[in-house]
Amino acid sequence: MSRHTARRAAVATLTAGMAVALAACGSSSNGGSTDGSAPSKASSSSKGGVTQVDITLTGGDSDACSVDTKTAAAGPITFNITNKNSTAITEVELQSDQRILGEKENLAPGLAPVKFTLTLTGGTYQIYCPGAKQELQDFKVTGSAPASTGGTASSLLGHGVKGYAKYVTTNVQAMQSAVGKLVAAIDDGNLAEAKKQYALARPFYEKIESDVDGFVLPGYKPTDNAGNLDYLIDMRESNLDPKVGWHGFHAIEKDLWQGGKITPHTKTLAAELKTNVGKLVGLTKTLHYKPEDLANGAAGLLEEVQTEKIRGTEEKYSHLDLVDFNANVEGAQQAFAFLKPGLSKIDPGLTTNIAKQFTAVENKLNLYRDAKIPGGFVYWTPALRAKDASTLSQTVQGLQDPLSKVGEKVATAQ
Amino acid sequence: MSEGHSEVSRRRLFQGAAGGVAVGALAAGGAAWGIWPEQAVAADRDQIDLTTSHPFYDAAHPAGIATPPQRYAIYMTFDLVDGSLVTDLQSLLARWTAAIAQLMRGRPIGQVQPTRVDAVGGDSGEAMGLDPASLTVTVGLGPGIFDRRFGLSDKKPPLLADLPALPSDRLAKETTGGDLSLQVCSDDPQVAYHAVRNLARMVRDTAHTRWAVLGFGRASAGQGQETPRNLFGFKDGTRNLRTPAEFDKHVWVRDGWMAGGTYQIARKIQMNLEIWDADMVSDQENIFGRSKLDGAPLSGGKEMTTPDFTAKGKDGKTKIPVLSHIALAAHENNDGIQILRRGYNYTDGINQYGQLDAGLLFVCYQNDPAHFVTLQTKLGASDLMNEYIQHIGSGIFAVPPAPRTGHYIGEQLFA
Repeated sequence: MSRHTARRAAVATLTAGMAVALAACGSSSNGGSTDGSAPSKASSSSKGGVTQVDITLTGGDSDACSVDTKTAAAGPITFNITNKNSTAITEVELQSDQRILGEKENLAPGLAPVKFTLTLTGGTYQIYCPGAKQELQDFKVTGSAPASTGGTASSLLGHGVKGYAKYVTTNVQAMQSAVGKLVAAIDDGNLAEAKKQYALARPFYEKIESDVDGFVLPGYKPTDNAGNLDYLIDMRESNLDPKVGWHGFHAIEKDLWQGGKITPHTKTLAAELKTNVGKLVGLTKTLHYKPEDLANGAAGLLEEVQTEKIRGTEEKYSHLDLVDFNANVEGAQQAFAFLKPGLSKIDPGLTTNIAKQFTAVENKLNLYRDAKIPGGFVYWTPALRAKDASTLSQTVQGLQDPLSKVGEKVATAQ
Repeated sequence: MSEGHSEVSRRRLFQGAAGGVAVGALAAGGAAWGIWPEQAVAADRDQIDLTTSHPFYDAAHPAGIATPPQRYAIYMTFDLVDGSLVTDLQSLLARWTAAIAQLMRGRPIGQVQPTRVDAVGGDSGEAMGLDPASLTVTVGLGPGIFDRRFGLSDKKPPLLADLPALPSDRLAKETTGGDLSLQVCSDDPQVAYHAVRNLARMVRDTAHTRWAVLGFGRASAGQGQETPRNLFGFKDGTRNLRTPAEFDKHVWVRDGWMAGGTYQIARKIQMNLEIWDADMVSDQENIFGRSKLDGAPLSGGKEMTTPDFTAKGKDGKTKIPVLSHIALAAHENNDGIQILRRGYNYTDGINQYGQLDAGLLFVCYQNDPAHFVTLQTKLGASDLMNEYIQHIGSGIFAVPPAPRTGHYIGEQLFA
């Protein structure tokens, strides 16, 4: 998601508010059919009090997803999935009104069978096998079961987004304080101190920039960059709108590093930045998020890493790109951490993989830490980029790809 | 090897290189074994039927080797990321196998338009509406797969090892090696690119791309194909392996879990085209040992005439120079060694000196990599052509046998 494109998480959520999370209990079905699927067993089998449902994937001219029983009594149910020879079906989900309650991905012929277990109460669910000739099949649960302990995926996700909202407001307040120190140093005409404070202030913005990206101040048209808070705070020289001119962090960066001195214009820029960050503090308090906003925001932060930081275009003059890089990753990691309890109920495999990929990125970034340099990372110079950008970028890509799948998993229907 | 079957046409496109005669229901490449080479020169069979889909599962041998060379190729190698587990490798191979099966049938590997609004696409979509176009994907396992990382050293194919340093090698680190290779060939370049792009994408958390070459034109002949030309303007691969008996003898591994598979060696060979073009054609012919126009050996006859390396001219020298490319490489002069060549012409645009940056993606298959080493040791030391080429990239891979339905490539490693 690049700057100035239509998809803007924060804007959308200002009006939409937080979606009400549905508990993982049964609901009526408006889709799916049981026609034309494999013969069902009269009743499901049980192992240690857990109902067993076997799903078999087959291929050939058309791929099929056969379920051995279409009904089960409420309670814990294990779905055992075997991919016999289907190349088109790579995942199986249990849904309730398009909401994913549980799933298995990366199914391929020849691999050992996999399973997931859910506690389901009475109602009609759907077994979803994308790529099958018949993708949706109804699955009926009779009776009722108590909600599983530890909360449902939806309630956990609902809890997570509230936690994330607090994280954003706290972070923006810390940014206000850090920007205050930067402005003070500039007002004092202290170049060395200003450079240091610049490096210390940047991460706060970079951790949450995907939530601010495209944020429009009240009373401005969405097309008017004069009302676009992200533009006013973080625009790079390469993407300027001539009507609005250059403001914010990077205009200050150029003065401090390339100009090498603090001018009256630098002081004007600093004062503006302070004002705009103040507005940001007020506005973030009004934001509400949906789980998919956190997922898309995290993916957006990694996209920032890949399109700007890795190429050294974000901090063109100061070469502090790795400071921003690390902050983008930390911001994404925070968003993921708040989704994790709910996501791990829906897709534990994906959750584990993303956690592992975050560790891989962290380990790579740790190689560049240098406590002596303000911001804590070595300078991302052209020479260093030429040597290391490819590995670093591919490691981030390894995280970005699984992370890009989280949005659909956590998106709640109504 | 069984022939590609033609899925009855939605859109059928025949392209004959010489305004070719349409051959009705007979799919391209449908020549029977054995009629080659007698009819080859007269009957040009280099025709393309984009609806052709080659078999993948349950074939005697992996696709993309004995398959008549398609017009375009992309070759890409990968490294498994640090910390990968043996189960990551297993999952990668199983998922690649299923995806390749989809792609070779001209089908997407996932939803192009996802059902859910917040979902990313499962397939990038640029092959929508395109036919299978004879796509083949050949998976190779590099020596690194069998090092200590995965505990698979006891499964290491006995002849798989990094190639030794060879004479005239000018290998660049960035175009050498890899834990995995994909050779993707198709008669539609977009179909080939879509395949490699999506296969790379689906394993990004396990395997990082290492190097790639885009081959824009085939430079080797299979059965039933007229010999194509490399960027030096010469026919390349006139004496290539063609019959099943030749493949059995020289290409396919006979024993162990690799039985039915083979060893793949890829070399990125840069050609100094400007310098070559400034050379007299008569000298170029001496370098190859063949005539430029019809590809006949300098000892006389037609393209398919067996070269006579002893025939002498009036000057008392052999008509085919002793250090010519074909004299050095001929099986008559190498204890019968033969390898399958399956190369493609490539270009990387223009180099830093303003010269054309192009050459030959040389891919060969043999049941013993030492056969390539023997030939290249000789060529690298003495070939008259060395003035005009540099080997700048290299890789060696074991190609497991074709998967059976319900199984995956390399599954034998994890048994």
